[in-house]
Amino acid sequence: MKACTFVVLTMLAAAGSFHASLLAHHSNVGFAVETVNTATGVVKEWKWMNPHTWLIVDVDDGKGGSVEWAMEGRAPGVLLRAGWTRTVLKPGDKVTVHYSPSKDGSKVGMIARVTMADGRVLPNAPPAN
Amino acid sequence: MTKRIALLTVAAIASAVAAPISRAQTPSGAQTLPDLSGVYYPVNAAGGGARAGGAPPAPQAPPKPLPAPTRTAPLSDGSRGRSPDAPVLTPEYMKKWEAMRDSRIAGSSDSDNTAKCLPPGMPAMMNMAYGMEIMQTKDKITFFSELNDALRRVYLDGRKPTPAILDDPTYAGYSTGHWEGDTLVVDTVSLRDNTYIEGFTPHSDQMTIRERIRFVSPGILEDRITVTDPKALVKPWETVKTYRKMTGPPEDQLREFACAEGIEHAR
Repeated sequence: MKACTFVVLTMLAAAGSFHASLLAHHSNVGFAVETVNTATGVVKEWKWMNPHTWLIVDVDDGKGGSVEWAMEGRAPGVLLRAGWTRTVLKPGDKVTVHYSPSKDGSKVGMIARVTMADGRVLPNAPPAN
Repeated sequence: MTKRIALLTVAAIASAVAAPISRAQTPSGAQTLPDLSGVYYPVNAAGGGARAGGAPPAPQAPPKPLPAPTRTAPLSDGSRGRSPDAPVLTPEYMKKWEAMRDSRIAGSSDSDNTAKCLPPGMPAMMNMAYGMEIMQTKDKITFFSELNDALRRVYLDGRKPTPAILDDPTYAGYSTGHWEGDTLVVDTVSLRDNTYIEGFTPHSDQMTIRERIRFVSPGILEDRITVTDPKALVKPWETVKTYRKMTGPPEDQLREFACAEGIEHAR
């Protein structure tokens, strides 16, 4: 029972810190926007939501395991015009994410581009007008 | 007679609530005015703008490997200083800007109103990076910004801001306008002092804005904006925004931006 309570509390704490990090990083200034790193991994969740979308990815850690990252995307309206949809990404999809890392070193990034397993590219914006 | 009056009243009401006009007229009915109604995106916008026309592209395999992106968004923390085109601030307001710059470089969103789901406010609202919808009637023109679902109204019926309005500043301010030929001239007052002129350039509660809005060619709308602020600015600041009108679906449809959804989710 004690162990069970501990697990639940740990899960709640993890959920709380995750959501707090979403709120804390909602502005571009939270990210090193001129640094673009690359991560490959498997989609855990694709949140098509306002004001910004979120792609939760289990990123390969290079040692046979994975670590969860929260990648912040642009607003649904912006991404619709760039060719994304609410269902374009699904749990289990393999993706490569170009992202700018959070300035505070947490496992949160801001998406520059997502490349899907079949080579399709999801950009941040439509071609320049 | 009574019946006739009733019919006339019904006709007047029907005409008053009719869909936005396609051809506006002056009160005298003599001159046809430009119709600004429609959905627009900024020309040469970085980020949220639409393409020149046609449907959004479906994600496709590129013909050859794309070069890796070198940035995710424009640098907006002030770490490279102020642009030569930026408003020239008085020493008092330059200090405020520098304090916000330091906070932003450290990664803080404290100086970012839209990150808190607040309206972008005038005049920064007219960047319209996520698209703009203009709704026009004879007596009022309404500007809608997809970013943060923000709205401003420009009254064209001759009303003026009252003392009560001037005592109640808002993010969009209070705008009145008139036509000078084909140009819509708009004056905006009663603005809150916690919005930004552009980027995170601060201003005082004495800021006022004049705009001259006109079509410079078919479908291309220009807004020449002059910002005056005797406390914050050394001299009035002028900037020009240009927008392209969309011609059909899906690009002439803006999307809902229910900003609080994400904030609520985070709680």
